[in-house]
Amino acid sequence: MQARKRIMQTALAIAIGGVLIAPAQIWSMDAEDAPESVTIDSLVNLYTGVEFDHAMHVDYASCQECHHHTTGGEVVNPNCARCHSTSGEADEVTCTGCHATDRFNETYIRTLEAPELYHIDKPGLKGAYHLNCISCHETTSGPTGCQDCHTMTDAGEKMFYTGKYSPAKGHSAPGH
Amino acid sequence: MKKTVSRRNFLKGGLAGTAAVAVIQNKEAHAAQSFEGYPEGMGVLVDLTRCIGCRSCEAACNKEQELPEPAKPFDDYSVFDEIKHGQKRRTDETAYTVVNRYDVPNLDHPLFRKIQCNHCQEPACLTSCFVNAYTKTPEGAVIYNSKVCVGCRTCMIACPFYIPTFKYSSAFDPRIMKCVFCYDTRLKDGKPPACVEACPQEALTFGRRNDLINMGRQRIRETPGKYVEHIYGEKEVGGTAWMYISSVPFDQVGFDTHVPKEPILNSVKDFLAIVPMVLTIWPGLFVGFHLLATRKEKIKEQEKEDKEGQV
Amino acid sequence: MRIFSKERPEIPIVHHLKADGTEWTIKEKLWLGLSIGEYKKQFFRNPVNWLMMGIFALGVPLLLQRYIYGLGAVTHASNDYPWGLFLGFGLFGMVPLSASGFMLGTTVELFGRKDFHPIERLALLNGLLGYFFAVLFLEVDLGMPWRLPYPMFVSLGPAAVLFLVAWHVATYLSVQVAEVLPAFFEWIGWLKGKRVIRKMVLGLTIAGIILSTLHQGALGALFTYAPAKVHPLWLSVNFQWIHFFCSSIFAGLSMIIISSTLIRYFMAWRCDDEFKDSLDYITIGLAKGCSYSMITYLIIKIVAVAHDQEWSYLLTGWGSYYMLELGVAVVIPMFMFAIGIRHRYVGLIRFAALIAALGIIWNRLNTALICYNWQLYQEIPHWKEVWITITIYSLYFLTYRFIVYRLPIVYGWKGEK
Repeated sequence: MQARKRIMQTALAIAIGGVLIAPAQIWSMDAEDAPESVTIDSLVNLYTGVEFDHAMHVDYASCQECHHHTTGGEVVNPNCARCHSTSGEADEVTCTGCHATDRFNETYIRTLEAPELYHIDKPGLKGAYHLNCISCHETTSGPTGCQDCHTMTDAGEKMFYTGKYSPAKGHSAPGH
Repeated sequence: MKKTVSRRNFLKGGLAGTAAVAVIQNKEAHAAQSFEGYPEGMGVLVDLTRCIGCRSCEAACNKEQELPEPAKPFDDYSVFDEIKHGQKRRTDETAYTVVNRYDVPNLDHPLFRKIQCNHCQEPACLTSCFVNAYTKTPEGAVIYNSKVCVGCRTCMIACPFYIPTFKYSSAFDPRIMKCVFCYDTRLKDGKPPACVEACPQEALTFGRRNDLINMGRQRIRETPGKYVEHIYGEKEVGGTAWMYISSVPFDQVGFDTHVPKEPILNSVKDFLAIVPMVLTIWPGLFVGFHLLATRKEKIKEQEKEDKEGQV
Repeated sequence: MRIFSKERPEIPIVHHLKADGTEWTIKEKLWLGLSIGEYKKQFFRNPVNWLMMGIFALGVPLLLQRYIYGLGAVTHASNDYPWGLFLGFGLFGMVPLSASGFMLGTTVELFGRKDFHPIERLALLNGLLGYFFAVLFLEVDLGMPWRLPYPMFVSLGPAAVLFLVAWHVATYLSVQVAEVLPAFFEWIGWLKGKRVIRKMVLGLTIAGIILSTLHQGALGALFTYAPAKVHPLWLSVNFQWIHFFCSSIFAGLSMIIISSTLIRYFMAWRCDDEFKDSLDYITIGLAKGCSYSMITYLIIKIVAVAHDQEWSYLLTGWGSYYMLELGVAVVIPMFMFAIGIRHRYVGLIRFAALIAALGIIWNRLNTALICYNWQLYQEIPHWKEVWITITIYSLYFLTYRFIVYRLPIVYGWKGEK
């Protein structure tokens, strides 16, 4: 029943989208509207924050590649375009606006049960960053190692048993 | 007269011998019913296409479960080349979870697979345990109680995923060491396990198992060609709380694709079914044999007695 | 012993009274009626005892090491092969070889075959000791041996096959103690106890059949928990319990042929004439049982292969190994039994029994160790594990001999009726 309802809604959305082929460009944001750099520091426990050079990245990627449909540009992904080809610029374009910092929080997980919800699989903030950054960096030879972007803190080194917390040489785990 | 007494004695003995097992029979029949898992159970969907082999999950698990210091740092990736008995790394008493690297033919990059307890819906470890040391909690975790475990290691035999390990190094406090879904410290408070929280790539998605299946299906459907059309763990061994999706066939990344699609217990049911049969039929059957086999002697004895009586 | 029995007519002891009419004390009976000097002399004259001492000299320290430093100190501590020799041989091998108790109990008490009576007690003792030492092997293997009673009284998991094994082995062990007690009562001279057991004997025997059917089968069924691990030729989900039960029949009978042969030739002084005279006849009778159960076993082994559609596996290396096992451990001894029965070649039967008994151990080791995890790698047990296994088995041998030396097992107690 749920699935059927969703199909109906999607079909409706596509139908409407088809009738109103709107000039999307008019509403789209411009790179100049964006901040020069963004501080990403949700993981500061194990790693130091990242100073993200937004202005520099604008040269490498179009807005949509990171901001999906929210900046109002042309929606390339056909799957997203089913609903968002005409949705235009969103009120909220920051990452945190959509991607939950506490993705696996009990109440957040509860919201995923809403039967009409399409985005049941939206990554959390940390996942969104890494999934987006690393996959792009792999194709554009950008940094992909953990410490290429953010250095490990003391707490991180402790958890990873690395740096000054490295296991003593010759030590081996018990058992066989 | 003498004969009836001996027969009554026999019945007593027979009952005494089977009294203990008669109690068991009932419970076995009860346990043999199928169990589909708790509807509200949580799980984790592991997306092999997302994992980059950073081993953060291993480090987080080690810290959360207070496991001993590892032999190598968790950011040392030479562990992926470790081979023992021709096998890649596995869980042991020092590691509840392990990430292995797989170089898949015709793929330009390696794939990584995290192993840990899959938290089966109908766990083989639980059903094989004769002291009830395992519990499947409504939250979805398969937890273990070391206080009642005798250390027989049948759970290790029964686990189709080779997950439970034994603390062989201890003489006085040996126990099963296995992933418990961070039940005590996190899951029971509604929090995700430490490994999930540590994963930068969200290769591990924590959620209600039913929702995760929908998520997995959505990912497979909406990115055509990216994944093979299978959620490993949806049906395997009757379903597991931890499930996997992959871009290559599962047997190429170390999964056992020959595990039964039904709970392990089902293959044991054939035997469990004969137990009540033997308990009920054998006594009568063998008494019958006995009476038949000794009939001639009895007749002779009777004739002898009769003769003596006549004299 | 032979030298003493020639010099002194009252040795070996078969009677409560000495030649001079006074009663033997229990202590004297324990020393076999010998003085301590004489006992020592016969003990050290026996090369087997020297071998045993050699085994224990290393075995006991190794056992201590196991209990102080854990299983990991004496085994390979494998997580892939959680069960090693202690269970693969000690439990899965010893239990079928001890099926003799219920087999002969059934034959004599239930089917009224009094002609097998001279060997009944030996069969019961063989059963009792086999089970007792299987439990002892388990005690070496269990991570926490002091928790052995837990499945009975502390935390119950009644749906598990092992629960069944535990209860049945424990109950059956008590049944066997009861069955062997009359010999002990005769020896200590407490006839009332013997009469009480005598009344229960039929009930005990039937309980024995039930418990044996179930736990012999259950040992096989334990492997059905690993349908994806054990090689399909050694694991038939539907027939595993029948395979284990059926093979335990000829295993138990073969073991009793071996044991009686050893006693007949190395302990002739202890056997009475009835035992000695009837042994060949009984051996042939036991051989018949062996050959029948072997052909049944062979057929259901083949049926299992057919049922599971496993013919193609027979063409692989594992298949050759499987056929080697069936050929050497079942087909060859089966024909030897048959020829032995037909031509009354008792020697051939005894040799066949040895092959059959070793064959069963081989089969159980194949199932529990060699063909378990056939898709991974083969585990070769640590030498310390092998040595400890031999040590416990030697202890079994010594206990066995200790009892047969003393209790009226292969001889009739005189002066009762």
